[in-house]
Amino acid sequence: MTMTKSPIITPQAAIRVRGLSKFFGPIDEGAIARTGPEFGTARDPLSGSIVAAWDVNFDVAAGEALGIVGESGSGKSTVLRCIAGDQPSSAGSVHLMCHDEGRTNVLDLSPAARRKLRIDQLSVVYQDPAEGLSLGVTAGGNIADPLTAAGWRNFEAIRVRARDLLDRTEVPLDRMDDIVRNFSGGMRQRVQIARALANNPPIVLLDEPTTGLDASIASGVLDLIRGLLEELDLAVVVVSHDFGVIEMLTQRCIVMQHGRVVEDALTDQLLEDPQHPYSQKLVTAARS
Amino acid sequence: MNSPLINVCDVSKTFVLHNIDGREVTALQNVSFSIAPGEHVALAGSSGAGKSTLLRLLYRTYTLTSGEINFCLSSGDWVDLGKLTDPEVVALRGREIGYVSQFLRAQPRRAVIDLVTRAGVSRGMTRNDAREQAAISLRRLNIAESLWEIHTSVLSGGEKQRVNIAAGLISPPRLLLLDEPVSALDPENRERAIDLISQLSEAGVAVLAVFHDLDAIARLATRIVVMSHGHLIDDGPVHSILPQLEPTDVHP
Amino acid sequence: MSSTVDEIAGPPQSVPFALLDEESKREIRRALLQAVCIPGFQVPFGSREMPVARGWGSGGLQISLAIVGVNDTIKVIDQGDDEGVNAVNLRRLITSSTGIEETSETDEATIVQSRHRIPEDAMTSDHILVLQVPVPEPLRGIERNMKELERMHAEGDYSKMWVSLYEDKVRNGVITQTTGYPCLVAQRYVMATTPIPRWDIPRLHQAEFLTLFGAGREKRVYAIPPFTDVEPLTFEDVPFEVEASNGAKCRLCGSEETFLVETPGSESRWSCSDTAWCRRKRTK
Repeated sequence: MTMTKSPIITPQAAIRVRGLSKFFGPIDEGAIARTGPEFGTARDPLSGSIVAAWDVNFDVAAGEALGIVGESGSGKSTVLRCIAGDQPSSAGSVHLMCHDEGRTNVLDLSPAARRKLRIDQLSVVYQDPAEGLSLGVTAGGNIADPLTAAGWRNFEAIRVRARDLLDRTEVPLDRMDDIVRNFSGGMRQRVQIARALANNPPIVLLDEPTTGLDASIASGVLDLIRGLLEELDLAVVVVSHDFGVIEMLTQRCIVMQHGRVVEDALTDQLLEDPQHPYSQKLVTAARS
Repeated sequence: MNSPLINVCDVSKTFVLHNIDGREVTALQNVSFSIAPGEHVALAGSSGAGKSTLLRLLYRTYTLTSGEINFCLSSGDWVDLGKLTDPEVVALRGREIGYVSQFLRAQPRRAVIDLVTRAGVSRGMTRNDAREQAAISLRRLNIAESLWEIHTSVLSGGEKQRVNIAAGLISPPRLLLLDEPVSALDPENRERAIDLISQLSEAGVAVLAVFHDLDAIARLATRIVVMSHGHLIDDGPVHSILPQLEPTDVHP
Repeated sequence: MSSTVDEIAGPPQSVPFALLDEESKREIRRALLQAVCIPGFQVPFGSREMPVARGWGSGGLQISLAIVGVNDTIKVIDQGDDEGVNAVNLRRLITSSTGIEETSETDEATIVQSRHRIPEDAMTSDHILVLQVPVPEPLRGIERNMKELERMHAEGDYSKMWVSLYEDKVRNGVITQTTGYPCLVAQRYVMATTPIPRWDIPRLHQAEFLTLFGAGREKRVYAIPPFTDVEPLTFEDVPFEVEASNGAKCRLCGSEETFLVETPGSESRWSCSDTAWCRRKRTK
């Protein structure tokens, strides 16, 4: 029963991350060896440099959501930002099926080309709506931004598209022409999601999308995201410290601690049978 | 007997509790049995015998410590569930192996009919077929039509469980794992659920189930596997094993 | 021994042709050449101290002085008026330091320096239009961060400009920007046409003449070479419209087809902004 090739057909990766690493300060092999969970720190005691993320690997297929879990400072947001292009990465590769059929390591692209990816290939929803939205601009205007960046030049067509997206994300349409600063936190997050979906990107990255919202508001936003995941066949990476979010949205996840991936698992397996001591601690804490 | 769908070979499961001095808790030891298509195997044994552990191992909610769980895919290929990658398990779940727990897992606020329909679509049905089948199942499980467009979150425990069964049994996978699927139901609705579950065997579905009462076992199972303290202590047809069981042997 | 002011000052120095020393003029011309090569792109230059305050046309003045030759004829207007105080001062400065001819007739001029208008008379390849620019950055009201502005121009990322037009239309029903309407030049750079009115914008598109823009305070020059596409930014379904006169006529010449300005107080309050054009029409 030895098999060279698995008889189980798994969907092709929409995003493939290999060896992704991020350092602050000069790093040598020694610094890698002196940091990580065994040492309880991401900071090299000799050089003072920080190994914010080291050797992160994962694939996510269309229609699938992968979670990145960990406490603050574990490196999970760093990984997301490196993929998004908000931060330069130090090593590794990220291939997107939607870009050059996955042949190009997008980390090698120029900053300008990275930003172009953000128009219609890869969107980010940030914890802080101020990071993903212009608060002084109307909800519709915030959606007009990526649309015009993608070349939309018809005012009425932009209005129709913005209306559709806001409707889809359950933002009352009579607020479409209000500036986002006057919106509640949950409503801002819905506008941010609408904006992220404007050009139908195949990949969406969510950075703590419901953290900071009241529980009832957060669950509504989660419902929305979950519905969108199922309907739009998106490949999603969601960073969260909240197992409720991870359980609701993802099938698989990785656990990060001190810049390292300490466990990758099926989400239900992580919650029911965590393997790594740190994962066990996190799950126990979340369940108590 | 048909050729088996799944061979559980010498399976053990030990939990290592790293944060309690690395204590090891062995939940299953050297368990072996197999299930053929159309068989309905009931797991019996007192609380803590390892019944749910076994179900979760087969679904890969638990990782395997040792042994093999060989599963025959619809393609005819055999795979060891314990050695599959996570994406492979994701691909296998739903279509090949299903799991219906006594609880409705975390779900978005979604209309009842929608939830069941989606389950069918996720197993390859067309949307129309899935919706039609969902309506049939919900009717048979006595979920009033007035509830179909309501979010599952506002349903009663019994209603949730029945919706859960409808979703789990629509276009059923080849192996279905049932974890006390009728535990929260009143007698009438329990009858309806059992009736629906009983059809799985006719459809050739292999079922491994944990029930909380002997009556359900008597009416549904073709075989009984008895567990005790993590060991498999008996395995045989219902008529030979059922008479030996006490009600406490199935208590969760 | 007593020293006089003359002694301290040293021997008298002659004022160079066109006020600026040759090195300065060359530096400005180099910047202008670059500007012509990259239509709409703002080229930095070392703006000199001028005998006019920055913000009073020092950028345009430096361009005129850098390109003027002995055979040129200069016309300078302010708000379309050759007799505006600022226009007169600038013109005097140019003619007195070069000895060239001045005129108020567009077709006699070779260099037309202006602040708010393009003359109504058609200009040709014989003309160079020099525009004095207060704010050369079209994205100034939209983005404050200089680095980000640079990036947006470099990448042709003008979505924020489009958003501001969208917001304007949503709030006001129309795009309200009047003077300095943003234009896309040669399908590449968005440029500020500050401070000419919308009326003059279509006249920049595929123009026969060269237009040079100078911002003294902001130390930038930019250009539209002859026969270059200049498209006002607007949505496909929101046509660009110039200022409507609504049937108003010039109270002096009766013109309806020129850019009219309101004169407060008088009975018929509208008159041609281009005074030379208006005068010629009346004398015909």
